[in-house]
Amino acid sequence: MKRLLALIHREFWENKGALRTTPLIIGGIYIVFLLMSIFTTAHFDNELYTFREAVRLLAEQPAEFRAAHGQEVMLGSSLFFTVVLAFVVFFYLLGALYDDRKDRSILFWKSLPASDTLTVLSKLLVAMVVAPLIFWVVFILTQVVMAVIASLMVISVGENPWTLFLSVVNPLKAWFLLLVSYLASSIWFLPIYGWLLLVSSFAPRIPLLFAVLPPVVFAILQIWIDFLRTFTLNSNLFGVIGEWVANSPAILSVGVHDGRGMLSLGAPLNKDFDHAVTVANIFDRLLSLQMLAGLAIAAIFLAGALWMRHRATDS
Amino acid sequence: MTPIVSARGLTKRYGRTLAVDHIDLEIPPGRIVGLVGPNGAGKTSALKAILGLATYDGELSVLGKDPSRQRAALMEDVCFIADVAVLPRWIRVSQLIDVTEGIHPRFSRARCLEYLAETKVTLDHKVKQLSKGMVAQLHLALVMAIDARLLVLDEPTLGLDILYRKQFYTSLLNDYFDEERTIIITTHQVEEIEHILTDLIFIRDGRIALQATMEEVEQRYAELLVRPDVADAARALGPLYERELFGRHIFLYDNVSRDRLAGLGELHTPSVADLFVATMKGGAS
Repeated sequence: MKRLLALIHREFWENKGALRTTPLIIGGIYIVFLLMSIFTTAHFDNELYTFREAVRLLAEQPAEFRAAHGQEVMLGSSLFFTVVLAFVVFFYLLGALYDDRKDRSILFWKSLPASDTLTVLSKLLVAMVVAPLIFWVVFILTQVVMAVIASLMVISVGENPWTLFLSVVNPLKAWFLLLVSYLASSIWFLPIYGWLLLVSSFAPRIPLLFAVLPPVVFAILQIWIDFLRTFTLNSNLFGVIGEWVANSPAILSVGVHDGRGMLSLGAPLNKDFDHAVTVANIFDRLLSLQMLAGLAIAAIFLAGALWMRHRATDS
Repeated sequence: MTPIVSARGLTKRYGRTLAVDHIDLEIPPGRIVGLVGPNGAGKTSALKAILGLATYDGELSVLGKDPSRQRAALMEDVCFIADVAVLPRWIRVSQLIDVTEGIHPRFSRARCLEYLAETKVTLDHKVKQLSKGMVAQLHLALVMAIDARLLVLDEPTLGLDILYRKQFYTSLLNDYFDEERTIIITTHQVEEIEHILTDLIFIRDGRIALQATMEEVEQRYAELLVRPDVADAARALGPLYERELFGRHIFLYDNVSRDRLAGLGELHTPSVADLFVATMKGGAS
């Protein structure tokens, strides 16, 4: 356990920029944009008349309406964090078993009594748990700061932020939903994580190319062969990956639920799963046949990555 | 005493080439072994097998363990410096010490800091800010702070200037080595390590060309300096190797009694470098 923690620490130190600075920058951008929009409003509307009216209208709405929409706004603002997190994890995994082979520091790491399994596990845990947790914490901090700024604005036009939204919207529920969604997505996307680690473990150079080219070539061949056989264009690897993302438990898009436009899990393109953002729907995906097949594929990729790592040296 | 390293028929193939060709080897504890050979002779391949960094054929046991299967467990008792430049460049010295302490049960932070205090390396330095010599000092400080039974150094001083090289081997000998420990060193700069070695192994074309203790080397080999007029007489005694220097002939003999040689000219114990050249060029071992 002590060794695993030391290895995770090492990953964090090496990737501080991606894992810590990136979410902080996104949080900063959110706050700067909020302030800029306030100054823009104030610049064109000295008395803040429009803003005052908007707040008044909102205060007249029933509490349930404000609670539901408040939660949608909170969850919706996580979208940018989620997309950037996906990019960070993608490139982190691509480099995870490649960078130390490239700079030959693998010879140092392998001189320490940490097994290859533990090393690969530490990298997988950083991608699946540590990175989402850091993004999640920074997201919460950002929302707290934004709530403070918004409250000050509401106070400045003479309304009470406590009765308007602070006491109505339950932030814990939104934050909890997001955390569950992040961790469930880590499991859901294990086959892709496994593939990236596998590529990272053997690519002689430019792991990005090795990660992207084989599936592209494979899918194009599939489309071509399918087209020759059936003169239709549907089932192929692109379709499978696209569907995988659409079915994922990550909060990624807006769809229609109960006749209202609301945030959705994945993208509501098919009826395989219920796309409404609830814990039950998230677990529904983790307990599905698709997940089982995905885990089997992930296990093959990860075993390959481990096998390669065991044999890897500097040359 | 159980040997630290024991190999039977150790073989490493790259495709059809044999980098290591059925080597039998036994290294007892408390030795400093110099592994010497020309480029591509199979030194690094043999060391990689010993360190569990490569697959191999044949039998190999290091500290009673199978290195290809038990690398992690083996590394609790074995340290190695593969090259001067393998410490990760992005890491801070303090982080390097933290992570080593977290992974290695036999690492002593206090000792490492002691060694580092004698250098210009500080805890705030990043490895990429250090000169090559300082990186080598840092790596040596890390390794010497680990209470290991076998230390493997593969060209540890490559590219360092003479001051760093001298200091490297001095601290290794004074602060680290004792009867419990074994050190295996490969280097091209044999002159610098020959006085610290207890054993010598020459490797050529994946085979062991010579394996002897330094005492055996002194007993077996003799270098004779003669004037040209007695060269033929000297040649008749069957030297391993002959060269000329400033008009004098220098012969190197294996197992020829010193009494027979002494009458012909000046007798010396050959340097490891000369012995190496003679063995590689002379053929016989």
